[in-house]
Formats: sequence, C-alpha cells, structure tokens
Amino acid sequence: MQKTKIGTVEAIMLILTIIVAHSVLSMPTNILNTYKSASILNVTYVSIIAIIIAYFVYKLLKPFPCMDIIDISELVGGKFFKNVVGSIFIIYFIVSSSFMLRSFSESIQILYFPMTDITFIISLIIIAICIANRLDFSSTIKTNVIILPIALIGVLFLFFTNINRFVPERIFPILGESAFNTFVLGITNLSSFGGIAYIYFLPPLLKENTKLKKITLISIIATSLYLIFTIAVLLFIFTFFTDVSEISPLYTATRYIEFGSFFQRLESVFLLVWILVFACYLSIVCKFSTGIFQKVTGISNKKALIDIFGLLILGIALIPKNLAISQNFEYKVYPYLMIGIVLVLGIGILIFANISKKKQIHNINTNNNHFREELQNE
Amino acid sequence: MNKLVKNIFIFVVILVFISAFSSSYSSLNIDNLTYVLAIGIDSSSDNKLEVSFHFSNPIPAESSASEKSTPIINTVVASSLSNAINLVNGYQGRQLNLSHCKVIIFSEEIASKGISDEIYTLINDTQIRPSANIIVSKCNAKYYMNQIQPEIENLLSRYYEVFADSSKYVGHMPNATIGDFFNSLICKTCEPYAILGGINKANSKTNSSEASDFGDNSNNNSQKDYNIKANDSSVEGENKVENIGVAVFKGDKLVGELNALETMAFLSIRNKVDRFLVSVPDPLNENEYLDIYLTPKGSSSVSVDTSTNSPYVKVKCKFTAQIYSMSENSKYLSSDILETISNSCNTYLESMFLDYLYKSSKDFKSDINGFGNFAAKNFITTSGFEQYNWLETYKDSFFDVNIETSVKSGMLISET
Repeated sequence: MQKTKIGTVEAIMLILTIIVAHSVLSMPTNILNTYKSASILNVTYVSIIAIIIAYFVYKLLKPFPCMDIIDISELVGGKFFKNVVGSIFIIYFIVSSSFMLRSFSESIQILYFPMTDITFIISLIIIAICIANRLDFSSTIKTNVIILPIALIGVLFLFFTNINRFVPERIFPILGESAFNTFVLGITNLSSFGGIAYIYFLPPLLKENTKLKKITLISIIATSLYLIFTIAVLLFIFTFFTDVSEISPLYTATRYIEFGSFFQRLESVFLLVWILVFACYLSIVCKFSTGIFQKVTGISNKKALIDIFGLLILGIALIPKNLAISQNFEYKVYPYLMIGIVLVLGIGILIFANISKKKQIHNINTNNNHFREELQNE
Repeated sequence: MNKLVKNIFIFVVILVFISAFSSSYSSLNIDNLTYVLAIGIDSSSDNKLEVSFHFSNPIPAESSASEKSTPIINTVVASSLSNAINLVNGYQGRQLNLSHCKVIIFSEEIASKGISDEIYTLINDTQIRPSANIIVSKCNAKYYMNQIQPEIENLLSRYYEVFADSSKYVGHMPNATIGDFFNSLICKTCEPYAILGGINKANSKTNSSEASDFGDNSNNNSQKDYNIKANDSSVEGENKVENIGVAVFKGDKLVGELNALETMAFLSIRNKVDRFLVSVPDPLNENEYLDIYLTPKGSSSVSVDTSTNSPYVKVKCKFTAQIYSMSENSKYLSSDILETISNSCNTYLESMFLDYLYKSSKDFKSDINGFGNFAAKNFITTSGFEQYNWLETYKDSFFDVNIETSVKSGMLISET
C-alpha cells in the first residue's frame, strides 16, 4: 500500500470519484424524495458541516504524519483493535461497493443489455478491476485523473444545456417538508460525503504529506459543489424526481439534452464516461481493501488478494434478488453505515489517539520536569 | 505449459462473454427491428385500446428523388399499450423499436377519459424519447395518421421531426412533449397540456361555401383568422392534418381547448415563443386592423398573492413590435403614431391575455401556466402549500395583466 505514492491532484480526484460514482445511482433521487424543494438548502447545509468535519479530520490526522487510521487504531487499542477496525473498514468498503455495483449493473442491463444475465455484466466489470489492480495502482489513478474531469464537466454541461428549461421557483417552499426534516433529520445526508472515509487512508500514500490539508478541503468543497450542481439540475428541470424513483436520475436528465436534430442521444456518451468512473471507483475500493487486509494480516504478496476480493465483490453483488433490495441498501442501510463507521468510529479513534498522544506528551513532560527537579535538588 | 493454460482460459472466458452478450446484440440488431415513427391511440369497445403504429418506409435506392414513401400503418386492438406493441411484434415478425418515435397521438375521446396509464407506460419505456411530441387529435387518431401527407418533406420522419418547431415563430401551437407532459402530470404546481391536432376544414368538409367564408377579406375576418383551432382552418393541400391550439388537461383528463389567439397568450406567459403575428385594432382607422409582429422582451414576470383563498395573479409581459401590414397612407415614422399604436396594442393584448387566463381558471380550472410555482414562494413548508391545495384553488383566481409594447417601426417601408 505504501509503495505507490500519489500527488495532490490525483488524491483530490480519488476522493471525488466516490461522489461521482454514487451520484450516477439513486443517491440524488433519495435526496430529492426526502427533502423535496428544500433539497438544495439541505445539501448546502450538509456541505458546510461536511467541510467542517473534513477539516476536523485533517486536524486529528495531523499529529500522526504518514499514518493511516489502521496504524492509529493500533496505537490506541493495540493489535486486536487494529484488526477489528481494519475488518470493519474492509466490510464497509466491500459491501457498499458491491451493492452499488449491483444497482449500476441493473441500470446497464435495463438500458442496453436486456437479454444478458446480470452475472455477466457484473463479472465483466470485476474482471476489468482485477486486471487494473494487477497493474500498478498508478494506472488506476492516472485513468481516474483523465476520466473524472470529463464526468465533472459533464454535469456542468448538463446544467448549462438545460438552463433554458430551468424553473428556479421549484426551490419553494423553501423549507421543504419541515425545518426539522431539512436540518435535523437531514444530517443523515452526510452519507453523501463517503469520500471522507478515504481521507483516513491517504497519509501513507501521499507524495507530500504536508498537502493533506489542501487535499482534504479542496476535495470536500469540490464534492459539495458537484452535489449542489447535480441536485440543482434535477430539481430545477424535473418535478417528477421529487415523487418518482428513477433507476438513474442523471441518466434520465441526459436524455433531455438536444441541440436541434443534429446533436441528440448524448446519454450514451455520458453512460460510457460513468462506466469508466465506476470501474475506477471499484478499482480504488479494491486497492484500499486489499491494502488494509495486507496491513492487518501482514501478507507479503498482495496480488493473490486481488482476485479474492474481486470474487468477494462479485458474490455480494449477486446476493440481492432484485433491484429493490440493492436500492433499499443504498437508501436505508448505507447512510447509517457511512455515518456509523466513517464519522463516529473513524473520528472517535482519531480523538482517542489524539488524547492519548497528548497524555503521553504530558507524561513525558512531567517526567522530564521531575527528572530536572531531581537533578537540580542533587 | 502454464502460459498455454492461461491463454486457453482467457480464450474460453472471451467466448463465454461473447455468447452472453450476443443475445442482447441480436435483439437490438437493425435487421430485427421495425422503427415506429408515430403511435396513435384510440379508444375501442370494452375499455380496450385501438393502437396504430406508423412505420418508417425508406424510399428504395432506385426510386427518384421526388418519390415519396407511402405510409405503413398497423392497427391493433388490445387491453393495454404494452400488449398492443407485443401483438404487432408478432405480426411484423420483428421487434418494434420506439427510439425514433417522434409523435404520440391520442384521440379526443380517450384523452377525455384519462391517459395517465399510457403516459406512465411510455415514460417507463427505455426507447421512447422525452422529446416525442404529444398530440390530442379532434378526430380519430388512426384517421389523423392516415391523413399525414407532407408535401415539402420526402421523408415522413423529417416532417415529424420539424413540424413542432413552428411553435417558436408562429405561436399557434405549443411544442408539447411527453417529457413535459409527464413532468406536469406529477407536478403539484401545474397541469399538463398537449398540441391540438385535427383535419383541416377545407379537406374535411365538401361544402365549398362554408370553406369560402375564410377567404373573405373583410376586416372582421382578420380576427377570425386567429380564433381558429385544429379542424377549423381553410388551408387546402395534400397534407390534410393541421395542428392549431392547445389541448388543456386537468390531471390526465382533457378538459378544454385553446384557439390560436389564446395559444399565443399561453406561450407568451410561459416564455415559449420567440415571435408571433397578431392583428390589433388600428387606432387611426376605426374597424381596421394592423398586423403586428411581436417579440417578447425578456421573460414574463409573474407574482401570486395567496393571502386569501382566491389567489391574485399579476402577470407582466413586455414586447417589442414591428408593423407588418402596410397600406396606402401609412405613416409609421411619427413617434406619436407609434405611441398610439403601442397603446392600442397594450389594450388589445391585455384584454386577450385576461380572456385567456379567466378561461383557463374559470372554464378549465387548470393551471397550465405553472403559476403554482410562483404561489409556492409564499409558503415555508410543503405541507402549508398542500393545505392551500393550489390546483383546486386556481379556479378562484383573479388576474391582473400588464402589457408594455414598444412599437418600433414598420419593416422595409415606414411611410407610404
């Protein structure tokens, strides 16, 4: 895991990949269905909280340069605690990405391969990520740096090409269902910022550890802007997303782009970009999961793990009997998993680590003072 | 040996994937598809649907350029739209592909009963484009399709592609699409609408005296020209269909129709027209009318007061205008005269807009203008807005229209 070092832009793109991959699925619909006309207000409010949390995470990671959360958890609770935390993060990464893969593959099957079994569609993506992971991690990262800007520009393109259809009044009633729903229950929408989880594992991977602050803040601010643009496109143009669940609302939005009779059916281009982004996302998940596993178990050959983790993702992705189960996971389970593991457990470990480090420093200082006093007395 | 096994494994995997994906490829292969250009939906007995499919018929390569494709229409009676598609799939021996379907036509009869099931089914279809136009035909949908014989276009698909573009510069019909219809159907702040289609009077009636009424050049008929709907115009030609006016829906049911003049008011309020021609009373010559090209200046401004149970809607529109009709002794270089014509325009348009708005409110009880979006501004929460029940309260609305027209000049000639 420590072998491949990544630069600042690559790290920012890596974190942004998570939101782009999630936004292609039903995440925007979940936000619009829950917060209705207050969706943009909620996303803005949650974004501010996410930026504060990300800064807090950076502050907590700062005293432990070149250490990820697995190393820090070993400092806090020893090897056993390190294994527990590592396992929890592996389960979180693998399970969430598997269900996302299932939803994404279901969408592709409905749209383009109605006669093909879902197993083959998922397998094809799994083979792609296994091959990518067998190569150096930098191949995934570099592909990501090329593809992700296209996906980001795509959302801006979607926003500006549909601007003549915008009805900005759809932001009203301003508080949506209620202030309680938007601001208190709306906190669960922090789960949209799944990229925070990857910040915990970045320090040992960075070429320049001093850039962690820049990476953390820029990536979370960019995630916020991306999310606001995505929700704005869907809310201002389409009324039906607040009441109807679509398999992929962004895909539906792209079907409305037309420039006369010449430029039509651009959704295929968007889908191609999203497939590549999704492959990069799974590749990153696979890389981090195998890295954590290697750290926990101490296995020296990581390549053997890639196929096992690929098969694990494939197996879990095939568990849901239908799209409803995988979408229910996205809507009902994933937000609580993300908040519980990434925000509560992750930040909790960092706080404990910081407290124990301060105590250690305090103890060392106290001992030093005692030693000095004894020396002076002598 | 190890490398050989690996290569064989890769080869087998590639073969498996090729066979797995080939079934999807075969089903979407162009040789196995029939492209539908338009769907017509009529009601039949026993609550069944009579669905007509208009297919593309490419002109054979050896035919001359002027030769036109003859329409191919298949009609089937089925309990649902999806069953109808399936039955025609079997009949044609090919799979119907709706990805090039440009128009969906509903007969007036079925539209009055409600078309939400058909709209939801079509939107659920991955092939139907949201940009497909939706027409409510005053006659049978199948008959309407049969009468489409574009004179200018050789390809029927081209006609379907461009016919709705005239909404931007004529203003006699909206460019209503199924995507917008579905959006409005679900919306709690507006109601759906569609293009009103029919067969023109000159073709549908043999009574020449009735048709000749429209050829009269008297000034009153200058106004009559705009009070037409589909089925009313006197245009004669090979293409017998015409699309004039708006089919107004309340929920999924057709509740009324707008004529050409009302359609212009509707499109102006919704900012969906670039330029249109109207006849306004000539302030300088009593009983005479001036034909004026109006161009909206910016977006219309709407405010809704919901402090009482009777919403008070204020609409403000600005236009720049150019005088199109010209006669002897026309003097359009005088500021005073242009000012007088502007005032006449304002008075005429205000009355025209008010007539339209009260018709939509009192007669149709349907907010196709989307005023509900502006009414929602007055509420903090969705529950408050839902309690106000905008779509039902709209019928009690009062309107105030303010028009500011600035007549600039004539066109090439300013004085005669």
